[in-house]
Amino acid sequence: MKNLESKKRYVLPGDFITTAPLRLQDNVVLEGKRIISTTIGLSDVSADSVRVISLNGIYMPKIDDLVIGTIQSIFGNSWFADINSCYQGMLLGQDVFGRGSYPTTSEMKERLDKGDIIFARIANSDRQREPLISIADKNLGKIDSGELIKIPPTKIPRLIGKHGSMIQTIEASTNATITVGQNGFIVVSCDETNGLLKALAAIRMVDEQAHLVDLTDKVKKMLEYNGV
Amino acid sequence: MGGRETDVVLLDENGIRSDGRKVNETRKVTIKVGVLKNADGSAYIEFGGNKILAGVFGPRDVHPKHMSNPDTGILRVRYHMEPFSVSERKNPAPSRREIEISKVLKEALEPAVILEKFPRTAIDVYLEVLQADGGTRCAALDAASVALADAGIPMRDMVCSCAAGKAADTLILDVNNEEDQAGQADMPIGYMPNFGKITLLQLDGVLTTDEFKKCIELGIEGCKQVYEIQKNALREKYFSSGDNN
Amino acid sequence: MANLSIIDKLKRSKILDLLQEGKRIDDRALDEPRPLVIDTGVIPHANGSARARLGDTEVVSGIKVQPDKPFPDMGDKGIFICTAEILPLAHPSAETGPPQPNVIEIARVVDRGIRESGMIDLSQMVLQKDKSVIGVFADNVVTDHDGNLFDACSYAAVAAIITSKIPKWEMKDDKPVLIEDQASDTPITTIPISVTMGLIGEFIIVDPNLDEWECLDARITITTNSDGNIVALQKGGSDGFSLEQLVKCAELSIAIGKKIRDIIKQATEGSK
Repeated sequence: MKNLESKKRYVLPGDFITTAPLRLQDNVVLEGKRIISTTIGLSDVSADSVRVISLNGIYMPKIDDLVIGTIQSIFGNSWFADINSCYQGMLLGQDVFGRGSYPTTSEMKERLDKGDIIFARIANSDRQREPLISIADKNLGKIDSGELIKIPPTKIPRLIGKHGSMIQTIEASTNATITVGQNGFIVVSCDETNGLLKALAAIRMVDEQAHLVDLTDKVKKMLEYNGV
Repeated sequence: MGGRETDVVLLDENGIRSDGRKVNETRKVTIKVGVLKNADGSAYIEFGGNKILAGVFGPRDVHPKHMSNPDTGILRVRYHMEPFSVSERKNPAPSRREIEISKVLKEALEPAVILEKFPRTAIDVYLEVLQADGGTRCAALDAASVALADAGIPMRDMVCSCAAGKAADTLILDVNNEEDQAGQADMPIGYMPNFGKITLLQLDGVLTTDEFKKCIELGIEGCKQVYEIQKNALREKYFSSGDNN
Repeated sequence: MANLSIIDKLKRSKILDLLQEGKRIDDRALDEPRPLVIDTGVIPHANGSARARLGDTEVVSGIKVQPDKPFPDMGDKGIFICTAEILPLAHPSAETGPPQPNVIEIARVVDRGIRESGMIDLSQMVLQKDKSVIGVFADNVVTDHDGNLFDACSYAAVAAIITSKIPKWEMKDDKPVLIEDQASDTPITTIPISVTMGLIGEFIIVDPNLDEWECLDARITITTNSDGNIVALQKGGSDGFSLEQLVKCAELSIAIGKKIRDIIKQATEGSK
């Protein structure tokens, strides 16, 4: 662990990371024999691969990511949702109404209207067209209430924590329900205003201090302190 | 440019320039990252008397649609001067000079920005000159590169920029407004420091081949100094509360 | 916090719900403007300058003073021209290109407040009657947009004008010639302050932020001078005000205008 930690370094775009022949993962490019960071983040060199954990990247849809979206428009037989990316997520009418169905616009509106929030899965994503999203699985679909907030998508793993430790900590001490999209959109709902504010403060703390090592402890302390 | 007659002493007998600098010294440069609330990335630079704001949006939808490219993202750069940024009030509409500078700055950034990852989208870089004091395009390029990094746009390298030139028959680093008006040559340089690649190069004035080579070398030294300031500005925002570095 | 934003669709009903309880979305009182910070002298090369930050709305105003021809029927007065531009870096929705009607309206409302109050004594700015006068150009650029650009532009321009200096010109062979190092203070007669109020449902709120701005039924900008008189007005938006509401707005604009005038006076004092 200690050995691994020591290989993590803060890097900026253009910074040289290593020359070893390694598998290139996220946010690195090979230039001759030099492996270079393409973003602001932490370099992570393992035995066989190298990546940079970005501190401020943009969300790019990947198949099977769970995301939160807000419906922007209905066009033809599809809804288009803002999924915090440079591309809108496309939700087909038949995903909701069943294969072979041709719902009218007003039927579609009734089910999901502009501004509605959905929890969805990225069903398909390629370079050619808008990423396809689906709400057909269980736990997916419209989110009825809560505050929609946004943090940099690169900080979502930090917010979830190891095996969900961070998010569970926050939920347990605030009685809030937090739905986390891998795209950086989060919906927080809580019956008590106090719990809601505390949960928002905790998420803000993760956002601001995502690059620190002992973050879970800090968040715990903050939640306990506010709880007194 | 062209060695106009002037009563200003551009270089005194001790090799000190009209604003007190040595020949190989840049003006004072300060950069602040993330100064705007609405932009995806932003930077503010003071480069001597130049004061420039840079804001980046994107990747985002391209309007008009026909400008979008199905294979790659596109970079758009707008360099613009405020009416009050120069001594005589400037018409707010973009001039031919601003349009040309926008183009060369775009081409200076393109080698560094990784656009292939974002087909059909645009990355917009807006550069607003609040006060001009000679060398605005270099300062704008420095701020643009920092704002792009702040927006999380993937880049192979930063782009740093500084001019070199010639005044009073001497090669000088970072040509100021006075030296630009009365000097003999002004050569803005944009540089990718980790690739050793020059991505912006213009020249107004006359240099011998030997001077040209030396002038580039001098300019690159200036670029490298600015690069350190760019890096520190980014570290300040992103790493400062960390215990690393 | 910059990253938090309320669900669009619910925004208006949320804002209205809060107003019923006497609260606003950013925790202000209904008649409370956002904090105003004025920095002067931010563009040393201009003849006067100021940056106004009203909440998260930010405007830089620069003054340029230069000889010009007088307006045709006003040969015995200097000229004053005010412009505004929302820079494209101020907001994702801001566009480049010629100014849109909403931006032209902002410039004209700011211009009217300053002009109609007689803030600058333009009669002192004549070099040669009907031939050559001094022109004062106030150019406002919005660098961050979080609503109510009317007041932010107005405060920046007014502060910039107060701190501005007028260079000296003398007529020689029918042409104005600059006399170096003889600048004098701009002749100021009064300090006009605009206060913009919005109507949502039956509620009147002062200095709406962008979330509120997008839900307004109607708005009104009232400019008052140092004596507490109304010098310019502009109603906007697609609903109307009752007489009672307008009287209330007028009273608010005088009371709040006074406080803002004090902030601007204090910020500009040292630089005179």
